[in-house]
Amino acid sequence: MSLLEIKNLHAKVGEKEIIKDFSLTINAGEVHAIMGPNGSGKSTLSNIIAGHPAYTVTSGSIIFKGKDVLSMTPDERANSGIFLLFQYPTEIPGVSTAVFLKTALNAKYQFLKKEPLDAVGFMKRLNTRAKALNVSAEMLKRPVNVGFSGGEKKKMEVFQMAFLEPDFCILDEMDSGLDIDALRLLSAGVNVLREPNRSFLLITHYQRLLEYIEPDFIHIMVDGKIVESGDKSLALKLEEKGYECYK
Amino acid sequence: MSAINNLALMGFDGELSVRSLNEPVSISVPAGCSFEAHLLQFDGTIDLSVSLMGADAKCAVQAVYLAADETHSVLNLNIVHNAPKTFSEQKIKGVLTDRAHMDFKGIIRIPTESQKCEGAQNHRALLLSDKALVRATPELEIFADDVKCAHGSAIAALDEKQLFYLMSRGIDETQAYHLLVQAFIMDLTPEMWMPYIEQWMAEHV
Repeated sequence: MSLLEIKNLHAKVGEKEIIKDFSLTINAGEVHAIMGPNGSGKSTLSNIIAGHPAYTVTSGSIIFKGKDVLSMTPDERANSGIFLLFQYPTEIPGVSTAVFLKTALNAKYQFLKKEPLDAVGFMKRLNTRAKALNVSAEMLKRPVNVGFSGGEKKKMEVFQMAFLEPDFCILDEMDSGLDIDALRLLSAGVNVLREPNRSFLLITHYQRLLEYIEPDFIHIMVDGKIVESGDKSLALKLEEKGYECYK
Repeated sequence: MSAINNLALMGFDGELSVRSLNEPVSISVPAGCSFEAHLLQFDGTIDLSVSLMGADAKCAVQAVYLAADETHSVLNLNIVHNAPKTFSEQKIKGVLTDRAHMDFKGIIRIPTESQKCEGAQNHRALLLSDKALVRATPELEIFADDVKCAHGSAIAALDEKQLFYLMSRGIDETQAYHLLVQAFIMDLTPEMWMPYIEQWMAEHV
């Protein structure tokens, strides 16, 4: 059974249709990349899978682990195993990162009907993941994303992903605003999470990210749908010819 | 009306004690003294007047109101700078839901002879329902010409982006609201009042 199946999806924001007959199937363990020009609907697609209320799905379906995603609230989707790495992570003054992560993890355990971690178990998990990504104790005390640089925000997103251990990770332009060292560190952080039971959807403009996180499949998205799919060699062709030939 | 459990902690030079707010309260602050008040209002009327009577008298008021159901609450803060070189600061934050109404009036009065004074007032309200209403009336009666005075008032709904971000990490809507409301008022709330705030949120948010 596929992990995620999107079929003939149509969606709009306001009256404007952005996703136009989009279909994609992702199996467990696979890494897919969607590339496309600005305004092709890539980020919209990520937000729709995560349940952002600004978008209306007019037809089509999204099935995750055999369940209808579109009827779930964003928190139910997250607790089922979907994680969206935000292109622009939101600042939340007054809520410490540690409290936020503890609340999120407890919610997930409650959803899965598992016993919550005790304080020691929580700190151990937090510190192990923090160490691997070079996240300092001071960063965990700060309010969520407040006062972080663009690169630090992206690092915290990867850290949250590692901490919450989702089954399906959508990386919405993880590479935007990162210098080469940060891109290397965060890509390594993503690569250690690659497992037979965990899948990834990378959203990016550039081939560069795919040198660090190698996808199994690449899809070109233009004007709300996939216009070509292939293996990683497709990215090289794209780098040469650009998106012009698809328009 | 049943008893209203508004809370107040106030006193001079850091020595705070619990005080009833059922009647209007008037405080005089002598020269060189600091008065401080922390208020938590759920309903009813609170009237607090503070007169700064001598040089270097200071006053800091931190008020939080939480209004729900069909309550109609009134918060009047009246600060009078009766002497030169006196200082006041008011910080007020409120959360309203259901059909609650709030009238907030904050006065800073600096007569002509009270030069070199500083007064500040900041009011922010969070509306969790489109039926809730806040009327904020800052009144700055400044007659002296060599003073510093600042005021601000902002009324807003909960930030949808923050809500979605929390929910995208698995936190349900109610809990996300609780985290955001708590974060909003936290800086003006003594730690010992958190249980009252949590109880209010559990009932109304």
